[in-house]
Amino acid sequence: MTSAPSTAASFLTTEASRALGEALGDGEAVARLRASGASALDTLPMPSPALDRPWKYVDPAALDLDGFSPPGTASEAWDEALPAGALLLRDGATAGRGPSIDGLALADFAETPDGALDRLGEAVAFDGDQLTALHYAFLRGGVLIQTQANAEIAEPVRLTREYSEAGTLATPHTLIVAGVNSRLTVIEEYRSGDEPLAVLPAVELLIGPGAVVNYTSLHRWGARTRVFGEQRAITERDADVRSLSLVTGGRLVKSHITSSLEGRGSSSEMYGIAVGAGQEHVDFYTLQDHIAEDTRSDLLFKSALGEQSRAVYYGLTKVGLGARRADANQENRNLLLSRAAKADSDPVLEILTNDVTRVSHGATAGPVDEEELFYIQSRGLTREGAVGLLVRGFLGEPLDRSALREGVREELSGLVEAKLTALGSGT
Amino acid sequence: MTEAPLLEIDALRANVAGNEILTGLNLTIRPGEVHAIMGPNGSGKSTLANTLMGNPRYEVTGGEVRFLGQPLDGMAPDERARRGLFLAFQYPVAVPGVTVVNFLRQAVNAVRGEDVPVREFRQELFQKMELLKVDRDFARRYLNDGFSGGEKKRAEMLQLAMLQPRMAVLDETDSGLDIDALRTVADGVNALMHENMGLLLITHYQRLLNYIKPQFVHVLIDGRIVRSGGPELAEELEESGYDTIEAAASPA
Repeated sequence: MTSAPSTAASFLTTEASRALGEALGDGEAVARLRASGASALDTLPMPSPALDRPWKYVDPAALDLDGFSPPGTASEAWDEALPAGALLLRDGATAGRGPSIDGLALADFAETPDGALDRLGEAVAFDGDQLTALHYAFLRGGVLIQTQANAEIAEPVRLTREYSEAGTLATPHTLIVAGVNSRLTVIEEYRSGDEPLAVLPAVELLIGPGAVVNYTSLHRWGARTRVFGEQRAITERDADVRSLSLVTGGRLVKSHITSSLEGRGSSSEMYGIAVGAGQEHVDFYTLQDHIAEDTRSDLLFKSALGEQSRAVYYGLTKVGLGARRADANQENRNLLLSRAAKADSDPVLEILTNDVTRVSHGATAGPVDEEELFYIQSRGLTREGAVGLLVRGFLGEPLDRSALREGVREELSGLVEAKLTALGSGT
Repeated sequence: MTEAPLLEIDALRANVAGNEILTGLNLTIRPGEVHAIMGPNGSGKSTLANTLMGNPRYEVTGGEVRFLGQPLDGMAPDERARRGLFLAFQYPVAVPGVTVVNFLRQAVNAVRGEDVPVREFRQELFQKMELLKVDRDFARRYLNDGFSGGEKKRAEMLQLAMLQPRMAVLDETDSGLDIDALRTVADGVNALMHENMGLLLITHYQRLLNYIKPQFVHVLIDGRIVRSGGPELAEELEESGYDTIEAAASPA
């Protein structure tokens, strides 16, 4: 890329970024990052399919930001009675909040004391590329979820983000900061309508020593929503992070999901589930980055693809020089439910130390196995019933392993079921 | 006995991947009978098992199989199962994500054609698990996923016990089992067998037949039965091997 590429979009200018910040009345931390993002808009390149491996199958030009406006600045009336630990945002503005929980901070950046946002931008930097610069330049709807040391938050925190403003750029940002030895489960749900929408989400997970965080994102985007998201966890000593991404809707959902295992003895489990229909395109890039000694990571991403849908998985397991006794596993499985569906899968290992406990990977893509079908049919289930059982089992495995409590698991399994049922009637 | 046959195999020919493996096989099994088919590697044992159950990879090129008087030709595997035919697989397939209990429930409902109430189903399942000396934790595991050889065979027997078929075909059920496991599995099968049911044991070795006693033993060579007899035939085979029988059979 040459030195000064033009910005991707006509309305998303440095000027517009400043105006948004003024209208929203940014605090110090947000203002700083917004200015940094805005100043980088003209200098940082767009990722390139030719040069940037995670972008091999998706040209960022597909986001087609031309014509998208900055997020609106209207604030919603608080009209929802929500349970404790729940927060609802509509088009980036808080629209409802449940009673507070001891040991937990849960609020829009606008209501957060400035000191609490010190670590904003630590896991997802503003200067990754033009997309991260755009994210910060037009940040709206930042939410901080922070636990005090030793806090055990029993109920899952429910963060729901709905978007209905057509033709805007959405920039949800979730900053999760887990205090020493705390326990936290967060379920973030994204929804949008049928109008065209471009979304650049960022999720930062800063996991303190000995803390355990379970983070789930539900991508229930509308049929004309395109999403390029960044999620990165940084683990301190003996911290554990577990994440699940469930994608059941969206024209294009591209997620970069990273765990940087910086603390000795820390671990990461990453799970992903996508059910594709129509022209949907899901693209996962994952990075299991073993930096410290005695770190452990596991990953299982599965896609079931119907109609003309498409899934891309590119995953990297990196074991650095200092990551002695690393234990890493990485698996991607794709089930093709129609002849027109397509999956590309590319797990990659990069190991710099000889002293590893285990580093393994695997990938498959193909239709339902005929021998498995025969086996299940031989027990009385029709071919259709056998396919259904196999697909549900296939997608159920990462769901089981993500270890969500029973009610939440049922809810997620219901989302998968609804999508599969719709798919069944459409083929 | 002149009762109507359960299974009639009449001059059956079958291909797999274009090669003719079964070359005219005849066999009749009546209610209450236990038959054993013994044969060396490559004689067509697994082809017979798969063809009976309707594996689409196996093509019937001649002859006929009738089950309870109905021709099976062209019938899907699930319909065969619902009519009361069962195959215990030599190599059961792992189904990650589907628990044993979930799978059995769906299979039982499909075969019986009704939703068995959960309580009733559980009661029956635990009773059958006890019979086969299977731990209760077993029910919560993914079907055949990471199972040892012995566990897979027990899972097959558990399915047999729950589905209560009229005719069960056991394909190499003794392979991969140590003596204790073999005895447990055999005791289970013997307990499940009844006068209206037929049993076909397909095996290379005579070992299984020490625990499940057949009234009829057949020798399968090159895709058809070359000799039939009583239990003594199995012992003769154990002593003299397949070669002698093959040699005796080939001039004919």
